[in-house]
Amino acid sequence: MKTKITIIALLVIATTGCKKFLDVPPETALSSATFFTKEADFQQAVNGAYAPLRTIFNDRSWVLGEMHSDNTYYPRNILFGAVDATENVADFALPMSNGVTTNGHVLNQYRQDYQIIARTNQILATIDDIEFDATSKNNLKGQALFLRAFAYFELVRYFGKAPLHLTPVTNRQEAALPLATADELYAQVESDAKEAAQLLPPKSVQEPGRVTSGTAKTLLADLYLWQKRWSDAETVARDVVTSAEYSLITSGYEDVFSTSTGNKNNKESVFEIQFMEGSAGYNGSFIYNFLPRPMTSTELAPITGTSNPQSLSGEGNNIPTPDIIAAYEPGDERKDASIAYVTLSQSLRTNKVYPYIKKFAKPHALHGNTGTNWPVYRYAEVLLFLAEALNEQNKPLDAAPYLNEVRDRAGLGSTTATSQTDMRDAIYQERRVELAFENKRWFDLVRTDRIQSVIVPYGNRVKANPLDYYYPDGAVPPNNAFTILDPYYGLPADESALTPNF
Amino acid sequence: MQKKTITYIKCFTTLLVVTLFSLQVFSQQQTITGTVTDAGSSAGLPGVTVSVKGTNISTQTNNDGRFSINAGAGKTLVFSFVGYEGKEVDINSRSTINISLAASTKGLEEVVVVGYGNQIRRQVTGAVQNIRAEEFKDIPVSQMTQKLQGKLAGVQINQTTGKPGQGMSVRIRGQLSVSAGSDPLYVIDGFPITGNIGAINPDEIETISVLKDAASTSLYGSRAANGVVLITTKKAQKGRTNVSFNTFVGLQQVPERGRIKMMDAVEFAQFKKEYYEDAGQAVPVEFQNPSQYEGKNNDWYGALLRKAPLQSYNLTVTSNTEKTSTALVAGVYNQEGVVLNNSYKRYSLRMNTDYALSDKVKLGFNIAPSYVYDNTPRTDGDRGTGILFNALHTWPVMPIYDANGELTLYNKFPGNTGNIFDYPNWVRAAEQLTNETKDINLLGNVYAQYQPIKGLTLKSTFNVEYLASKFFFFNPSTATSAMNVPVPTTAVSIRQNVENTTWLNENLATYTRSFNDHNFELLAGYTNQHFRQENTRIQADTYTDDRLPTIQGALNINRGGTNNGVQEWALTSYLARLTYDFKGKYLLTAAVRSDGSSRFGSANRWGTFPSASVGWIISDENFMQNLRHVSFAKIRASYGVIGNNNIGNYTQYALVNNTVNAVFGNNVATGAVVTSLANNNLGWETTKQFDLGLDLSLFNDRVQFIYDFYTKNTTNLLYSVQVPQEAGFSNFNDNIGEIKFWGHEFAVTTRNTVGKLKWTTNANISFNRNKVIALADGIDRVYGSFHITQVGKPFGQFYGLIAQGVYMNQDDLDKSPQIPGRSTVGSIKIKDVNGDGVITYGGNEDDRTIIGNPFPNFIYGITNTLQYGNFDLSIVGSGSKGNQLLVRHLYSTANLDGVFNMVEEVKYRFRSVDNPGKGFYGTTVGGGTVTGVERDWMNSRFIANASYFTIRNVTLGYNLDFKRSKTIRSARLYAAIQQLYTFTNYWGGPNPETSAQGNGAGDGGNLSQGVDLSNYPVPRTFTLGINLNF
Repeated sequence: MKTKITIIALLVIATTGCKKFLDVPPETALSSATFFTKEADFQQAVNGAYAPLRTIFNDRSWVLGEMHSDNTYYPRNILFGAVDATENVADFALPMSNGVTTNGHVLNQYRQDYQIIARTNQILATIDDIEFDATSKNNLKGQALFLRAFAYFELVRYFGKAPLHLTPVTNRQEAALPLATADELYAQVESDAKEAAQLLPPKSVQEPGRVTSGTAKTLLADLYLWQKRWSDAETVARDVVTSAEYSLITSGYEDVFSTSTGNKNNKESVFEIQFMEGSAGYNGSFIYNFLPRPMTSTELAPITGTSNPQSLSGEGNNIPTPDIIAAYEPGDERKDASIAYVTLSQSLRTNKVYPYIKKFAKPHALHGNTGTNWPVYRYAEVLLFLAEALNEQNKPLDAAPYLNEVRDRAGLGSTTATSQTDMRDAIYQERRVELAFENKRWFDLVRTDRIQSVIVPYGNRVKANPLDYYYPDGAVPPNNAFTILDPYYGLPADESALTPNF
Repeated sequence: MQKKTITYIKCFTTLLVVTLFSLQVFSQQQTITGTVTDAGSSAGLPGVTVSVKGTNISTQTNNDGRFSINAGAGKTLVFSFVGYEGKEVDINSRSTINISLAASTKGLEEVVVVGYGNQIRRQVTGAVQNIRAEEFKDIPVSQMTQKLQGKLAGVQINQTTGKPGQGMSVRIRGQLSVSAGSDPLYVIDGFPITGNIGAINPDEIETISVLKDAASTSLYGSRAANGVVLITTKKAQKGRTNVSFNTFVGLQQVPERGRIKMMDAVEFAQFKKEYYEDAGQAVPVEFQNPSQYEGKNNDWYGALLRKAPLQSYNLTVTSNTEKTSTALVAGVYNQEGVVLNNSYKRYSLRMNTDYALSDKVKLGFNIAPSYVYDNTPRTDGDRGTGILFNALHTWPVMPIYDANGELTLYNKFPGNTGNIFDYPNWVRAAEQLTNETKDINLLGNVYAQYQPIKGLTLKSTFNVEYLASKFFFFNPSTATSAMNVPVPTTAVSIRQNVENTTWLNENLATYTRSFNDHNFELLAGYTNQHFRQENTRIQADTYTDDRLPTIQGALNINRGGTNNGVQEWALTSYLARLTYDFKGKYLLTAAVRSDGSSRFGSANRWGTFPSASVGWIISDENFMQNLRHVSFAKIRASYGVIGNNNIGNYTQYALVNNTVNAVFGNNVATGAVVTSLANNNLGWETTKQFDLGLDLSLFNDRVQFIYDFYTKNTTNLLYSVQVPQEAGFSNFNDNIGEIKFWGHEFAVTTRNTVGKLKWTTNANISFNRNKVIALADGIDRVYGSFHITQVGKPFGQFYGLIAQGVYMNQDDLDKSPQIPGRSTVGSIKIKDVNGDGVITYGGNEDDRTIIGNPFPNFIYGITNTLQYGNFDLSIVGSGSKGNQLLVRHLYSTANLDGVFNMVEEVKYRFRSVDNPGKGFYGTTVGGGTVTGVERDWMNSRFIANASYFTIRNVTLGYNLDFKRSKTIRSARLYAAIQQLYTFTNYWGGPNPETSAQGNGAGDGGNLSQGVDLSNYPVPRTFTLGINLNF
């Protein structure tokens, strides 16, 4: 009898509270249903939207923006394979079919940009539904809008067309959108950047490292130049120049760039990608990619100054070409600040001396782990933007002072250009050396329509003199080098396989 | 009468009923007495029916196996007992008759454990195969599943790695899923366990039933689609106290056969010399004279292996008094691995106790604690991870020992020799790194059973499974298992504690009733199960002293490697079953289970899984009586719907990761991002299965034959559907697609000779096939690592380019399609599958196609057992035909750039038009641009036929009977060889059963099966054993 009672009791206990019993949400993770509900959530979400920039600038931008030009090349190490993804970009030989490419750098750039876009869409879709302090909200919205504009501006310049997502995707069916045209993307970048410029505080008020109203206006100036809207560009660039928030660092060109732990977000900095040394995972390592190899630890030690230098194998990247080295005028202080040389005892070349990019190579504590920030926009570029905008409106003399301000800091005399054409060439040349290795070169070639006039002869030089471009004796560039000279990269093949739209 | 009665016997009531029968009293005049014993153990057999042929006089043996019956001289006594072969004995003029009965292997009257109950074999209408422990007792391995290799029709059991206690892949009827787990559900004494079946001491097992079709499994509802394995542990038989002691000791070693033939030091140096010469470059001084390495070869792979002992001890005590029955099994298993510093130990105890409080009330209590210790170097894995793979491709010119006989720290050649890695000393890594797991398992049940009225049984059980697992990894400063890490290195420790708690309450009511020729059994139940896992992981590094790898001894706690987590699920179920037969020959079973699961989306929380099966014992019909050779024939058919809920615990939720941080200046700012999309409709995978079976016994049961045909369709497969990442997400978890499976299974048992020499053969062969019917809308293919799963084709096929040798000369090159920028004379030649004149890998003009199949045409097993006098011999073999493996390690071991050691075959590569070698491996000239193609672009050179037949086990035993001894009753001595020999043409490594991926549940590796990364080899084991019965 007792047993019977026990059984019945067990049954009763078990049957009650059944619904709750089956509700088992995750205990050690937040779920989106309860997340976007307070100010702190949006602060975190905005911070999360910055995160992909580290990956983009550490791993991709220099491949697609600098190696894909006459400024840098790879120092071929024939003992090492599986490097065609990078080589193909530098060789203008990306595998292309039906407008798509299988290149991994292209794919990753594309995906990282859309990470920023999806994260900012999530913020912008919900932030107005939650009540909190207006100043804080404007700042957060402004940052989100800027980051979205920045990502789309990268996409439109790399690809010329891209899907336009402005609201969060909630299910599988919404994931693929049709390709928007360049004009539609420009319009979105413009409207987002304009709104961001209004909502964001100026640099003096903003937390260092976050984007500001000045950053948004600089992005706008960049966009307008790209679109050849010269007077609009002049207006926004002049806003930045007259804001008194920025000035050139005059103590020397090498002081412009952040060190591994200091000189970050300085007075010349308009926007830079923030890295931090240490084991927490916020570090960069791009300067290691910019070194030729095989390099012994002894050869590396003076460059990095770490306590545990290790030898580098494989193939290096982003090595200054003889072309960029020759581009510096005599007496240009930027040359020695930007480029240095290293001798590799184990190189298979007869000439074992290689140049490398010095401007970012700052001493740091541990091998492979740097905190040096990446400069995206500097005040020097804003000055050159303004000069270009003025000159293109046929005001070369108005442009000259801004150009000269940059030249003066480099230890050079004033420009001799007076005509609009000469001034155009002078500004173009100044951008090349002032902004060398800052991922500007490819975009400058595209927007000034110089692919044919610059890359074709450059390609011929590489093919004719491989030894000058760091090939070991006997080795030559692949036979399909410099065959694909499109202004845009192909869309990524892996994405093409997933969307019906391209 | 007896047969029908047994039909109604249900869980744990067998003994009760038997007792009642044995109390019946009969009275006759002439008395014959005797004892019936078990031919195997010599123990008295209680409950044996003894009848006088041609009369209705019968009795049963008592607890000691004694009987007493009245019968006239000249009559014949008939002895029969469930699970034993019957005997007829002429009385002649004797008054005492002592006989022994032998256990029948596949008797039709055998009691078979089925889901939530028992049935006798002839009444079973589903596809159920059962195995008794005796059939695998001599196989000297640690895991139950290893012992079953080759014994089960329709079940593919592969040993993918030789790591003790690990690596068994069990697939019932070829079940597969894109991303949900495909392991069967293991149920121990009615309790579906969540832990590792490998931790169960096989000596605790009495029987195993494998439920294959939907009708047999549907009472397990949303967990049934992968098949169910029911394990019943030892119970005390009615009778005297039995004590038995079983032990074996053995020695394991890795056979030479099948090891990958790598270059030795001289061959390697010769290769390097030729490499530079062919490229027109100066040969580095290290390789100018290859013969300097004569006698200085370093076999890194061989250096990691050793001969290793194993031993096992089991003590079993069973006792059964009037009210209490107890079985106790205590076991010790201790295996050293054939890889250095590998050991596996298991200490286990099980106590099963039943109390009969009264005729109506029974209580039971089972408890089984175990402790498992395992230390395994990180042997398996890809380059850079698994030390066996790494050792394989380490330069043989690099010394294992230095001039003083000490292990070298690490090895590096100058950069101009093409040495781009610092190679650790793998022997040092194996010996000095700790990688140990200590598990405490506890499995317990209590039940109460009550019979309020005749035919109705109420049973309530409460089950608990507990696991406390402690993992400890320590990499001291003096060794490393990573490339490019100089020694001394930074010491690292990882501690992970995992605690799993599962409880299950089941409440069942069973009602049995017969009237006229109609026999019913009704089962209804309500169950609740809950699982919770908590884990904590702490990673610390930078130790000042390797002797103190404590957390506090570390200078740094690694934040990224330090975390904790919770995994939890809950399941509520209702179940019901009707079993009906008419005259014992027309059989019907209908069952249904309804599962509510916390894993399913809020809009789709309950799933219902019905099934029905019918059987017809055609041999009981009058028209069959003339067919004298057919002793039994039954036709079965079943259909049912079952599910697979191995879809992850929180897959339905959209999660926010709040560790995607940003940096501003020198400050870190917490960042949060939504990492997945929610799906409120997410549910189980559904499998609809049809089964048609035939059971046939011929020639007085000398030949028993079982055939099953099945077809099943799995739909709503859980898949993390790739979405274009413009969405900001890579995947959306959804139920998609359809896979069709079908197959044939044949099992036959023949008693070839039954006289003095008893020879029995069990053989089975199974053909399993599958085809992908649909994937998600707009998606007709998904890719695995080197695999494609494509609509209209079988699942998970190898995918790559078709290699056609090398370009033999300039003319060949000019006339053939090429890879722009990469093809040269002597480089790999690829078939232009899409005919566009250019070879392309990936993208829209892909030349890849299906190049192989990891699934066999058929699998088979054969077991022969022979008995002659006191000797017994058994030979178990199993094999697989038509499957292929992808020899993945070739991407390093045939890397033509000479950065790794290579397979010897690379000696015969293309060197020049005049010296083209075997036309298999291409030229080394041109570096990665040229050589990278054949290495990095998956192609048919990597595919190898992996058909095999392995003689799993040969055991020779000798039985001793100690009739006069009061202490010891019988003994058996035996010698066995496990993994005696493998017949195969597979050239990619020693183990044709291997698979680097796709072993585990939910690891997403199902799409990528059959990859050989040079896993831990499976050793050959020689053992000597003894069984003693007291």
